This record gives sequence, C-alpha cells and structure tokens, in this order.
Amino acid sequence: MSFNRAIPKLPPQFRGKWNQKTYHVLRELGRGANGAVYLVSQDGVRRAVKIGAEGMDILMEVHALKSVQQGRDARVTVAPLLCDVDDLYIDGRSCTFYAMEYLDGEQLDQFVQRTGTDWVPVLIIQLLARLVVLHQRGWVFGDLKPENVIVTRADSQVRLIDFGGVTKHGCAVRQFTEEYDRAAWHAGDRRAEPAYDLFSLAVMTVRLASSPEVWKSSRTEPRQTSLLCDIIRNNDSLYPFRVPLIKAFHGQYAGAEEMKSDMLAIVQGRTTAVQQKKASGSGSSGIWIGGLFVASMLLLAGTLYYAWMM
Amino acid sequence: MKEATLRQILVVTDGCSNSGISPVAAATLAREQGITVNVIGVVEKGDMGEQGEKEIREIAEAGGGLFDIVYPQQLAQTVQMLTRKAMTRTIHQVVSKELKEILGDSAMEGLVPEKRVQVAGMVDELGERSRLDVVMLVDSSGSMKPKLAAVQQAIHDFSISLRSRSGQSRMAVCSFPGKQNHLDVRIPWTEEVDQAHQLTSGLTMSGITPTGPAIIEAIALFEHVKLPTGLRDRYGHNELEDGDQGSLRDHVF
Repeated sequence: MSFNRAIPKLPPQFRGKWNQKTYHVLRELGRGANGAVYLVSQDGVRRAVKIGAEGMDILMEVHALKSVQQGRDARVTVAPLLCDVDDLYIDGRSCTFYAMEYLDGEQLDQFVQRTGTDWVPVLIIQLLARLVVLHQRGWVFGDLKPENVIVTRADSQVRLIDFGGVTKHGCAVRQFTEEYDRAAWHAGDRRAEPAYDLFSLAVMTVRLASSPEVWKSSRTEPRQTSLLCDIIRNNDSLYPFRVPLIKAFHGQYAGAEEMKSDMLAIVQGRTTAVQQKKASGSGSSGIWIGGLFVASMLLLAGTLYYAWMM
Repeated sequence: MKEATLRQILVVTDGCSNSGISPVAAATLAREQGITVNVIGVVEKGDMGEQGEKEIREIAEAGGGLFDIVYPQQLAQTVQMLTRKAMTRTIHQVVSKELKEILGDSAMEGLVPEKRVQVAGMVDELGERSRLDVVMLVDSSGSMKPKLAAVQQAIHDFSISLRSRSGQSRMAVCSFPGKQNHLDVRIPWTEEVDQAHQLTSGLTMSGITPTGPAIIEAIALFEHVKLPTGLRDRYGHNELEDGDQGSLRDHVF
C-alpha cells in the first residue's frame, strides 16, 4: 500500500541530529505498514532501526513502546527495549527514526515449519504470558500475526515485534490484518480489549498447526469461524485444544491468563497420559513422545521463569 | 480540550472524471470548508493508467487528504487505514499550528524527540475521541460494476471500525452519477450500516463520471457548510436534513 509518501531510504551510515549517535546500516530486516526496519550497528552493538513515511506514525509507535515499558516491573519484557529516538536528514528532509533492541530470531511461522507443530501449544502459551503483561498495563496488541512474533535464536523465547497496532484498552484497534481480525471474521467489532487479541491468537494457532492447503481452503468469503472449527475437528494436534480455541473465537475469555491456564492444563494432562502409556510398554510413538517431552520440559522451564518473574 | 469534529469525504473510483467541474477544484473547495478529501482507486488488474493516477493524487493533495490504489480485496482494510491516517494528519496539522503560535516557527521540528513523542500520544488520543463524519462517494459508472461487491463489503466493514471508536462517528454513502442529481444518497447519515443493505440495487449505471460535481454535492451533506450561492443553485438541491441529532434512520435503497 502506498499512502502517498514513500518510506525514505536510510543512507549506509548516519548520525542522529539530537543524540548524536552514529549508526551503520547492515541490512534491511523487513517492512511493516508504517515503515521499514533495518539491522544496524551502533558503537559495535547491533540494534534495529525503524523509519517510516510519516514521522507521526513512528512517534505514535514510540509512544506505545514507552508506555508499555513503563511500570513497576520493568524486568518483564513485553516489547523490544527502546534505545533511541532521533531525526536524520534524508534528501534535505527531516525524518524521525527510533532504535530498539535487536532480537535475533526466526519468524513464528518459519520456526514452526522447521521444528514441527509439537511446538505450537508451547509457543502459544508463551505468547499468552506476554499478552497477560501487555493487557495488565492497559494495552492491546492489535495486529497479532506470525509475522509480528519472533522466536529468539538463542533461547527460543517468543517476543512480540512491530508495535504499530498496539492500542489503548477501549479504543479502536489502530492496525490489523484481516486474516486475524475479529471483525473480518464476523465475530465482533474492533474495540481494543483482551478478547480481541485472544481471537487473533486462536486463528493464528489454527493457521500454524494446519498445512498451507488446509489453511487456504478456509479462506472463502464470507469468513466464518465455523470453517475454523471444521479444521480443528479434523486436525489431531488441534483437536485436544478445541475448548480454549472455540472459547476464544466466541470471546468467552475475559483475559489471557484464563486461556493460558486452560491451554496449560491440556498440555500437561496430555503429556502425563502419554508418559503413562509409555510406562505401560507401548513405545511405538517414541519420537512423538520425545518431542512432547522436550516441549513439556521447556514449558515447565517457562512456567517457572514466569512464576519467578511475576 | 473540546472534542472537534473531523469531516472527510472518501471517493472510491476506478477512473477519470469526465463531466462537470474539475474534481481537483471541487476538492480544493471541500478543504476550504474544513473537509478532507481522500481518494481510493480500485483496479482489477495492472494499474489505473497515468491519467487516472494523476487525477487521484491531485484530488487528494488539493483536498488535504491521502490516496491509495488497491485491488478490490484490499479495499476494506484500505478504507480504515486511509481514514485513520488522514485523521491523524489533520489533528497533527491543527496541533502543529497551535504549537507554532506558542513557540514560533518550525515548532514541531524544534522540539526534542522526547517531547514530540508526547505530542504524538496526545494526537492519537484526540483522534480517537474526536467526532468523525465521513461521506463515502462511490463511483457507479459502468466499469465499477464488478467491484461493487467489494465496495459493499468495505462499507459494512468500515461501519464496524467506526462503531469501535470511542468518539462519536457517522457515515453516509452516496453513489454517483445519480438519477436526477450528480449523486444519489444511498445511506443517509448513520452510526451503523445495516448488513442487509444492498448497494447494487437500483443503481444508475452510466458512462458518465461526474467526480467533481459529486464532491460539491457531498460538501452540502455536511450541514455546517453553506455553499456559495452560485454553487448552491447548481449543486445544492440534494441537501440532506440531518437525521435529528444522529439518530438512526432507515436506509434509502
């Protein structure tokens, strides 16, 4: 989409007008609705810099990022850490940019494609934990989709990126993608509330655990959540999670915490059942159990981590 | 601060105007009356052609708004995005002007980025809480026919977006050319568009695209504006009495 002004192109090296930090551009990381993100090096430290066509859009994102990071418990990182906000001149025009912590990782859908769908519930539970914090601080993520979630390379942690859609509770969601948008699925409006994010999350879960062909088949007009329910019914890795997913489609969760504990209970229950089965001597699905075991260990680690953080 | 009313005309078209006053002149007049004009070009495949693209850009520039050229399936999302961005821009301009009066020239650029972030937060909040009146102006000349289903979906979708705002919002939908006038009011001012509404029924399909005259008539739908006498005689007859204090009314099909 164009919206008139092109995204300004960053020079290979530049210095901020106010804070005088020097950046070397390494490569472009990606483009969102509001601008482009580059990997840069600043004093030998890698950072991500975002620049957009409209300075106001960039400033609004910074505003959301800053508000999200405020709060008593800043240790719980929901957003990439903000490092710098400044201007630079490109072709004589003053452009606003911001620098944030660089998260080295893989886009959520690519990660799942590589590691397998066993990971999906684990990643979704991690995401729910992030959303719990974000919602507690009075914000809704809005534009939740695999492209806006990264799994870090170092420690397989889920992180939200691109805060262009982050909206204050009770306002109209600023930015969304129809594929994950509650209103486009005829399942409610676009008022920012925890249930809006949970809806997107549930659609995303179905998408991540389905083959591209199956997913494509659900994309008939008009969009209807009954199509998603059909996919869940026919998918062995989604079926155990049908209750929380369908509750999220119908806006029956007041908050992410509730959905998280439902998901957790299912993962733990399933793992225990499988292990008992294994103990009783039917070791035929060893690889699958191995995957689940890893997943449950990670989950346990994650839970302990969050329990410690809270 | 008192909540302002933001007024926008959103033109949805697929080609050049070919009748009556220049749409760029009409957009200039709208802007003069405090109405922003946004334009979306809808294309089936390829592009609009140089002439069509140029006109769309010039209408948006003259109308102080934004434009985009998209495929029918992108229409719904584009309507929401364009409207929001144009709102932000209008409020930003007002805020900048006020800052300029207080702080002197280049006020916004002269502020340290930290302060500007605060201004952005304020602009965002004002945008959310402002009253918003949008007239959607749909080109219904022959070539638009295959795209009208997408337009109809976009109208309904936009109604959901408006309903989700904290500020009061109203929309009206018109098609042009109209049967007698340059435009027909298809949905009078409303806060919620009925899903059953059919845009395609009873449409006047013709080869004429009077974009300019339609914009002029659309200006008259904003009751705060009194058209100059000359223009009122020519275009003002379609004036629509406001649905008393924004109460819901049945749609005219």
